[in-house]
Amino acid sequence: MKKLYLLLFCFLLAANVSLAQSSKSKKRKSPAAYNKQNKENERFLEKQWWLGVKGGMNLTKVNVVTNFSIIAPTNYDASESGKKYKNFNLVGSQFTMEAMFYFKRFTFSLQPTYQHSRFAYSNQYKWISTAENNANSVELKYNQEQKVDHVLIPLLVKYEFGSNKLRPYLQIGIFQAIRVSATKAVTVSGIDQASGGKNEFSDETVTVGAKDLFAKNYWGFIAGAGAYYTLGNNVRLNLDVQYKYGMSNISSTKNRYSNDRLAGIGDAMDDLNMDNLAISVGCLFPLRFLESGFKSLDRK
Amino acid sequence: MLQKIFSSLIIVAVAFSLIMCGEADNPQAEMNQFVSVFDNNQFNAGFNPIDMVQTDDGSYIVLAEEKVTDTTEIPNIYLLKADKYGNFVKELEIGDSLINPVGHLTVVENKLYFFCMVSVVKANGKDARLASFDSNLDGFKTTNLNGITYPAAASYAGNQFVLLSYNIDDKLSVISTISAAGAVTKSKGYTVGEGDDSEEPILNHFLRTDKIFPFDVGLVAGGVYYFNGFYNYTFSLVFTNISDDEPMGIVAGYNDKGGFSAITPLSASKYAAARFNFGNNYLLPNTTITATSNATSTDANFKGYSLPELIPDTKVKILRATAKEKNILIYGADTQTRQIGLYFYNEADGTFMSSRYLGFSNPYQIGCMIATEDGGLAVCGTTYLAGRFPRICIFKLSKEEVASNVK
Repeated sequence: MKKLYLLLFCFLLAANVSLAQSSKSKKRKSPAAYNKQNKENERFLEKQWWLGVKGGMNLTKVNVVTNFSIIAPTNYDASESGKKYKNFNLVGSQFTMEAMFYFKRFTFSLQPTYQHSRFAYSNQYKWISTAENNANSVELKYNQEQKVDHVLIPLLVKYEFGSNKLRPYLQIGIFQAIRVSATKAVTVSGIDQASGGKNEFSDETVTVGAKDLFAKNYWGFIAGAGAYYTLGNNVRLNLDVQYKYGMSNISSTKNRYSNDRLAGIGDAMDDLNMDNLAISVGCLFPLRFLESGFKSLDRK
Repeated sequence: MLQKIFSSLIIVAVAFSLIMCGEADNPQAEMNQFVSVFDNNQFNAGFNPIDMVQTDDGSYIVLAEEKVTDTTEIPNIYLLKADKYGNFVKELEIGDSLINPVGHLTVVENKLYFFCMVSVVKANGKDARLASFDSNLDGFKTTNLNGITYPAAASYAGNQFVLLSYNIDDKLSVISTISAAGAVTKSKGYTVGEGDDSEEPILNHFLRTDKIFPFDVGLVAGGVYYFNGFYNYTFSLVFTNISDDEPMGIVAGYNDKGGFSAITPLSASKYAAARFNFGNNYLLPNTTITATSNATSTDANFKGYSLPELIPDTKVKILRATAKEKNILIYGADTQTRQIGLYFYNEADGTFMSSRYLGFSNPYQIGCMIATEDGGLAVCGTTYLAGRFPRICIFKLSKEEVASNVK
């Protein structure tokens, strides 16, 4: 069924493009000819197809929906050893191809994106001797970093302001993400005071493939803002800021405990929604009027 | 034109929204598969599971030993309850007046039973007790078993318990049948051999100061019982009807250095077994033993599969299960890599199917295995958190995971 939807989606997209192409071929005239037909041109120039690329960095925040842990405390509160997430502290990256249709300040934009995001959490355990005259204790800290790659298919609507070379815009949309790959790195460090002295240690990081620990798909909403700066040849430079608000779980419920290595270390992924703040720069090319003598949108 | 564009875009947006998908909540998956490690933040506490059962509501109850270094010479009895998702629910520390919990933990008419004994150190005792409690770990009580001392292994067959115990004073391995009320209905003792040498390894087993022996006892069929324990200076598999003064048959080991490490009757003469011999381990998923045997465990027909990957004289657990409509045998044992090794065999002919290893980083040791009501497998063991703190762990494998190991 999903394949059918995808097929339908592709068909509609192709139909849209061909529609634009056919209208373009019917009306292909020199820019000078357009200038002579002002009224018709005004209407025509209110529409434009753009193609472009952009890339940049992103920061990730995860929202815990349900906690899961392999370590089940029997005589202390689970919150003492609970995971502590570090949000927006690890830099990821993304690369986007953008196809958009401009019409009367509104832009409908499809932005297939390859997104590499990172987030981390830590948890801590402590064992203390209860024996008299015995100060033995061991503290362990687990630092866990997740790196997950998704292909995102966002569909956005943008509204542009102004008519100068610099055109800011607001945008809103939805996206579907498809998991590509993931790894998880676990570093254990601690303080051992059980051998007659204090010994601080840090074990080598264990990195394991964790693709199956993440859900195959997740989706969410996007909101953001940005600005275009139009160069003389109608090419636009783009600064884009997006906040992706995850609406579904990024963890695989089925495979939460399937990785024997991670389960052995004592780690299980929580149910998480992932938010992502992405900042990108790029450029856009109009599909018509690439000649430098014609101003596509800011000709006034 | 304008209408066409708008209608196309609306259709695209609708189509797009239709393909939006994500991971749905799956509580069933959380129940089918989990790993739990039950941690206590006491530096000097250690836990060792003996047996586990699953109750009607899917919860897990673990019978274990608890030892607190500096305060406990011999491990005490510890009970733990986890829910069907592996979350900790409740624990019960029995105290230091009772020691040596013996599996199987058995459910009879909504009550759970196991055998234990009065503490040798704290109460200067040796008498066995039949302990019972309910599935909420409430109503714990014990029943005195007149004349029975040093319980070593137990099972439940034919609506009664079968118990292997030791009479150290008379140097006897004693097999008894006992009702749920604690009445000893039949009992017979067989010599472990005269002299101090014969009782030393047995006492060390109970004091947990040396090798822990894989004592076992059960009913084969037609009134024929077996016990895996000491007989005539040797760790042996002994068949008896609990009436005759002499055993019906014996498969002798080699002193305390060789014998069966696990035994499960599949029919009157067919067994799934494992044996140890001077540190070596052998798995015998399809072996024939007659109750009137007079043999030794090193005979050619008990050769079995040698597994150098296992630690010397490993603890072995055997579970009969069904997966993919096949009767299978699952062997669980401790590997040299400090993981729990699971070995899957076809029960019909003993052919090897596959293996799986549980645990990583911290050491893991097998405690027991049970087939769960959802067709999966639960493995209870000990893991050493931070490489040193012995804690109870449960691996719950789903039905699909078990099936993936069956060819």
